[in-house]
Amino acid sequence: MIVRRIRLVAVLAITLLFLLAWVFPIVWSVLNSLKTDSDVLAYPPKLFFTPTLEPYRDVLFGSASILPNLVSSFVIAIGTTVITMLMAVPAAYALARLRFRGKKFAGFYVLATQMLPPVGIIIPYFLILRNIGWIDTYQGIILIYLSFSLPFAIWLLVSYFEDIPFEMEEAAYLDGASRMKTLWRIIIPQVRGGIAVTVVFVFLNAWNEFLFAVVLSGNTVRPVTVAMFNFISVEQTLWAKLAAVSVLAMLPVVILGIVAQKNIVKGLTVGAVKGGGRR
Amino acid sequence: MQDHAAAISHSGDLGRVLARRERRFAAALLAPAFVALLATTTFPLLFLIGTSTFRMDLAMPFADGFVGLENYRTLLADDRFWSSLLISLVYTASTVVLQVALGLALALLVMDMKRGQGWFRVIAILPVVLSPAVVGMIWRTFMLAPEFGIVDYLAINAGLGSKNWLGDPTLAMVSVIIIHTWQWTPFAFMVLLASLASLPEDIYEAARLDRASAWQRFRRITLPLLRPAIVMVVIMRTMVALTAFAAIFTVTGGGPGTATEILNLYAYRKSFTELSIGYGSALAVALLVVTILISGVLFALRRAK
Repeated sequence: MIVRRIRLVAVLAITLLFLLAWVFPIVWSVLNSLKTDSDVLAYPPKLFFTPTLEPYRDVLFGSASILPNLVSSFVIAIGTTVITMLMAVPAAYALARLRFRGKKFAGFYVLATQMLPPVGIIIPYFLILRNIGWIDTYQGIILIYLSFSLPFAIWLLVSYFEDIPFEMEEAAYLDGASRMKTLWRIIIPQVRGGIAVTVVFVFLNAWNEFLFAVVLSGNTVRPVTVAMFNFISVEQTLWAKLAAVSVLAMLPVVILGIVAQKNIVKGLTVGAVKGGGRR
Repeated sequence: MQDHAAAISHSGDLGRVLARRERRFAAALLAPAFVALLATTTFPLLFLIGTSTFRMDLAMPFADGFVGLENYRTLLADDRFWSSLLISLVYTASTVVLQVALGLALALLVMDMKRGQGWFRVIAILPVVLSPAVVGMIWRTFMLAPEFGIVDYLAINAGLGSKNWLGDPTLAMVSVIIIHTWQWTPFAFMVLLASLASLPEDIYEAARLDRASAWQRFRRITLPLLRPAIVMVVIMRTMVALTAFAAIFTVTGGGPGTATEILNLYAYRKSFTELSIGYGSALAVALLVVTILISGVLFALRRAK
């Protein structure tokens, strides 16, 4: 009995330690973003303090506002999501439901494109975009983002398309509906949930991307993940402001992640069942 | 439309006509996505292989020109390349092993919990949805900064003294491994918890009736049944760790010196910091070859029983 009690306490302690380890860095950033400069630098670190919204006011409306960077992040993420979905939904439907030669190869190709390391994509595209003057533009960044968002979206959507019963389509064809009409009126409404989940993940990945953004951004287009660096330099780090920016950069994806909670495992392991793939 | 009606009247041709229309419809639906994929992945790959055979230096464009396999010869004799490859392998192997071991252990513990599983499912989501760049920034400052960071504060109070977590070569490597493990263990945990939950209950009942110990049940039943999920996690996480960028770039930038410079980061630094695009391309091709070799081994392991 005592052994069992000890075991239970040990298990509880270990699991709570894990929970704490995962939550703490995030909570600590939030706390620091609500501190005055003197509270942030206090030693020992302060868990209890009088909260202030000053860091947020500074980073949003101060002289070095990150509002334009938040706008950049949203434009890039939304633009990538819209274009990706317009291309991925028809492609995924074809891969999941239609019969044609080379289908297996097409599916494999979509997975294989993800083997190419991102640094191998950005080197050539940096040269090309520089030549056509597309560095520091939305179209440049969104174009490159298709390289990872499209394969991901196609494979996630295929898994949803495969779940719909064939009878629905057949009934529509027998009623004389065209293929396009059937896809639009009968199939798409069936996978609305899957499309919503895909939108969430494509947005999330585009919002979080860093390598392409750091190479392609400039004074006009600079997402918040890159702009964060303005608050940290060799001379000094603006602690509270940096914390506020981090929290603002985390907020949209944390909300989306919790909204998509039930589908997160599917979203994270997409393509893996079929062969390889990665996020 | 006209000849379509005519074709249908020949009832024997109907199947073939429908099949052809299905093919055309499929081609039309696939075309935009495949053109985009060709343009953003296959085309850059060919371009990359092309530039890797050139001397191309943005700082000294006058010396640019075709050099054949010169960049690859340089690469094979480049100590920094071999050391970055070794760092890549250490980083990948240690982060993947840690993620799977910790994720599996935690999934097994949480699986037995009567209450509170929901908390774990929600909290595990937080790290994995964050941008690795933001995660890196948070760790670099609020967690690891000397004296100011919480980890250092704990180290001081534990009597270890203040450590230069990101300035010391060994500690910097340990730090970037811990950060990656922190962010992605929840991934392994969630996937393994999901597949644990889908295992059939009656096998365990039978094992319990046979008085199998907890360890025997784990070794003989749980582990073999979980194997596909574990292998999948290993494959996916290996691919990501090999091309990890943001969380190392923001935390150490590859430093101090080249202590945390994985091959991916070396290719980036060579191309965009030192502006040697040609040699950087050769490094990127080398990374692709390494990725293909490692995934080939992993897929062979997956097939092997």
